[in-house]
Amino acid sequence: MVPLVQVDQLEKRFGEVRALDRVSFDVEAGEWIAIMGPSGSGKTTLINILGGLDHPSAGRVVVDGLEIGSLGERELTRYRADKIGFVFQQFHLIPYLTALENVMLAQYFHSITDEKDAAEALCRVGLSDRLSHVPAELSGGEQQRVAIARALINQPKLILADEPTGNLDEANEAVVLKLLHELHDTRHTILVVTHSQAIGNLADRRVELEHGRLARISAPSLAKE
Amino acid sequence: MFLRILWKLLGASRGRLAVALIALTSGAAVCSALLNVNLDAERKLTQEFRTLGANVVIAPPAGGSEAALADAAVLDRIAALRVPQIVATAPYLYVAANSGSQPVILAGTWFNQVAKMNSWWKLEGGWVSSRDDHEHCLVGFTAARQLGLAPGSAVQLRSGDRNISLTVAGIVTTGGAEDNQILTNLDSAQALAGLSGRVSLVELSVSGTPAEIEGVTRKLADNLPGLDVRPVRQIAAAEGTILGRIQGLIFWTIALILVLSMLGVLASMAALAMERRQDVGLMKALGGTVPRIMRLFLAEAGTLGALGGLLGFLLGVVLARWIGERIFGVVISARFEVLPITVALTIGVALAGAFPLRLLGRVRPADILRGE
Repeated sequence: MVPLVQVDQLEKRFGEVRALDRVSFDVEAGEWIAIMGPSGSGKTTLINILGGLDHPSAGRVVVDGLEIGSLGERELTRYRADKIGFVFQQFHLIPYLTALENVMLAQYFHSITDEKDAAEALCRVGLSDRLSHVPAELSGGEQQRVAIARALINQPKLILADEPTGNLDEANEAVVLKLLHELHDTRHTILVVTHSQAIGNLADRRVELEHGRLARISAPSLAKE
Repeated sequence: MFLRILWKLLGASRGRLAVALIALTSGAAVCSALLNVNLDAERKLTQEFRTLGANVVIAPPAGGSEAALADAAVLDRIAALRVPQIVATAPYLYVAANSGSQPVILAGTWFNQVAKMNSWWKLEGGWVSSRDDHEHCLVGFTAARQLGLAPGSAVQLRSGDRNISLTVAGIVTTGGAEDNQILTNLDSAQALAGLSGRVSLVELSVSGTPAEIEGVTRKLADNLPGLDVRPVRQIAAAEGTILGRIQGLIFWTIALILVLSMLGVLASMAALAMERRQDVGLMKALGGTVPRIMRLFLAEAGTLGALGGLLGFLLGVVLARWIGERIFGVVISARFEVLPITVALTIGVALAGAFPLRLLGRVRPADILRGE
């Protein structure tokens, strides 16, 4: 079976700085991968390239049969709309749109909007009573749940989450992790960038980076066994 | 969803958009007022010009002597033509007379018509208001000084063996030949000269554009054979030049106002663009194409332009009315053909002023999401 994500000898340079240095790994469809490593190790750069927000300097990245490095700006935009669901540490919601409209915005850029579907997505993350609230009226946890609903609304092939619980208290972190669990249980492919060992231990595999290089790939579940 | 986001965008940055709207509305108001004035200016100005003296002269062919006088029946023939552009018709009969031992030119005319076409004459004393007043005269400023006359003075005029006694109603200063003349009723001058039913020339005040005046002149010439019908070319040319310059002034003022409005919008939009970088970065990350995102912002600017154009048009109508009353002394009514022009110009200015928003298309989502 062809892996959903293939990263092969991936390099990313910013001038003289080598943010990623010949990184290679695969991700199977339905896997939950934790990307870990100290600050500056290249985690966010890796996520940005996988999400089509940045171009690789060398190497190959193939997601669902598409080689990212060969795509132009327009194709990358289409790729992001069709195949990627982003969840950011800072939530990144549009402040003047309601929770419902923030979810519909992703539908709008993908194809056509469906208010009922967007409302259902928010209900699934427990925000049925917050549809018409703007981000400023929501707690951090609620905002992140809106971001998760937005990431899922177009049924993406790959969910990329960059420190999704980094700005949340314990209670809200637990809610978000529960949601990630549910996504994993429903065969969503998830890549989560995290500093947290606890979150890393929940993943199927951990991809650990150090100074832009792949340090190790481990399987916490196997270690637990 | 497009309209939903557009509505939210308009509500999200009310302060900055209000500044841009004020710039657009004020620019549109001035444009609308000037366009309204411009459409009426030619008509109003030509009306104004008609108070500045005759612009067509009818006279016997040049080179004649006393015999080269026109029959006063020409006045009836002019009236019979019923040319609506003729504002005033003033016949003149010039008589060489003497006041005591001083020679003086007596001009017999119709005072009511002279008043219509020479409202700018400076008058000391009173005007002779009736065409049938055979007792009073007006004396030109220079002639009055030479003859020692003042309002209320009596003046005796002699021509050959005929005499006439008049009372000076007023002293006029015209800056022209009239300053050296005594003006009186046409009948009185004809009686003094013994030239009943004769006139030296007829001055006409014809309203309209230079082309219209030329048309009236041709019509008069065709219907008054044996007489020279000449436009006063300096006046016609000056009127044409003034009209052209005023229209040029209006055009360039509108252009300048639009540029200034655009700069006002540009300043607001530049600030707005800084605020929107985050949103654009996110929209691009979510799969929004640059044209699709820009359509939102340009629609926002366009809506602002349309609203500013509409409000500006309404304000411009009021402004045009005020300009009309203050400058032309008439009411300038709203011209609805100005509305689409004003709105289109204002939308154009708003879109041009939204240039900084278009630069947002270059935002790299990765930079924005990193917090740069």
